[in-house]
Amino acid sequence: MVGLVGVVGVVLSLVARGEDGEAAGRSVSLAAAIPATDPLGPPPRHGLAVPRPRALPTRADAVALWAPVLHSVALRETPSASGRVVGRVTVSTPERTENIVLVIGATRARGGLWIPIRAAGAVGWAPRTALGGYEAVATRLLVDTRAFTATLRRTDGVVFRAPIGVGTSAAPTPTGSFFVRNVLTRYRSAFYGPVAFGTSARSTLTDWPAGGFVGIHGTNRPELIPGRISHGCIRMRNEDILALARLMPVGTPVEIM
Amino acid sequence: MHLDLDQLDRDGALRETAAGVPGETRKDFLLGTLAGGGAALAALVLAEPGKAASKTDVDILNYALTLEYLQAAFYTEAERRGALRTPLAKETTRVLGAVERAHVRALRDALGAAAVAKPFFDFGGVTEDEDAFIKTAVAFEDLGTAAYKGQAYRIDSPALLAAAISIHSVEARHAAWIRYLAGAPPASAAFDEPKSMPEVRKLVASTGFIAQKPSTQSKERPRFTG
Repeated sequence: MVGLVGVVGVVLSLVARGEDGEAAGRSVSLAAAIPATDPLGPPPRHGLAVPRPRALPTRADAVALWAPVLHSVALRETPSASGRVVGRVTVSTPERTENIVLVIGATRARGGLWIPIRAAGAVGWAPRTALGGYEAVATRLLVDTRAFTATLRRTDGVVFRAPIGVGTSAAPTPTGSFFVRNVLTRYRSAFYGPVAFGTSARSTLTDWPAGGFVGIHGTNRPELIPGRISHGCIRMRNEDILALARLMPVGTPVEIM
Repeated sequence: MHLDLDQLDRDGALRETAAGVPGETRKDFLLGTLAGGGAALAALVLAEPGKAASKTDVDILNYALTLEYLQAAFYTEAERRGALRTPLAKETTRVLGAVERAHVRALRDALGAAAVAKPFFDFGGVTEDEDAFIKTAVAFEDLGTAAYKGQAYRIDSPALLAAAISIHSVEARHAAWIRYLAGAPPASAAFDEPKSMPEVRKLVASTGFIAQKPSTQSKERPRFTG
């Protein structure tokens, strides 16, 4: 090996070794082992456009998570099986869709995993085993009952805004934090228009059939919008609710103010 | 080649994490996804203009896409839930999640309209328990590496083969990284074995992590307050 140092046109000695790592005493030159030109040509360029890895958005409210309810279960005030019961979540909705809940905080590990959730009519802790997988949504609907507007935001800004009708003073639209839990289509009802979203918000009309839940839907009286015209639901012109249906997935948080 | 679960799941991580997973809504989803069959060929975009991809290549890309969906969703959910305790686990999850999401984007862009849809995942709390998370990540990265290796010899297009190998070596780096995090030898064998599609499908199905998407649409007449 020493005698090769300094020779023009570098040649390295490669020592073949036996299975046990001992030198086998056979050496070859680099030129012989690795040709200077490749008779097969260069390797192919790969066939995918390569995007840069992107970090998740850092804003806490950029994405909301929802989960289906797998088992009917009591909601607890604290993350514990002995916590005070503050409500109950069921597996299905009055509209015969699978029920979902919004995940609103961090998991606690205490006698199993507990998840803080927002359900229809209650906020509390549920055991992780009662819920299915998480799905993320990047949309958020803001309903302004004084300006009579509904605004859908995504992480990149406002993507939809439309005038709305809201509840009358006798049956006001409830304010607070809610979410979209299902979407109804292809039913026959001019009153509700072509699409109706079900929300977790409950009307003040507690004796209303099917629980008195507040919907976001179309109308057969578009001339009344904007205004205080409903029993608590949020009404939109049919072209607006159709546009919203293309943009707003189930699980979207709804802030009504 | 016969492989059983012991060989595929060397650390027992997948079986361990699957054991506590409720299974009611997780039936048979994989039958339609990991097979990857029946996809249209026309939409595949390659770096070789004018060359159509073979059906085999489209199927393999969709198979890879499904596994990348799984890995990307796993790390993304772990990061979003914020339940990992140690800084190294958080950093690893952040980096690996971003890379797996890039793999998803690259494969989806290449497949265009022929891309399979993202499945609905239910990790059943594994992403919210650091020990279970790391053990499962070891199994997923080993599996992903073996799955790419198992298809490489079948790929028709040299450009796609080059792409698959590019991803495969990254998955192998991930496997070593997450094994280091788990305290397992990053590279204990001189040769790695490939895994076939049925073997991979069986193992992924055994976790119950791919679930049926909840039915949240209905034709029921609304009875909202109006």
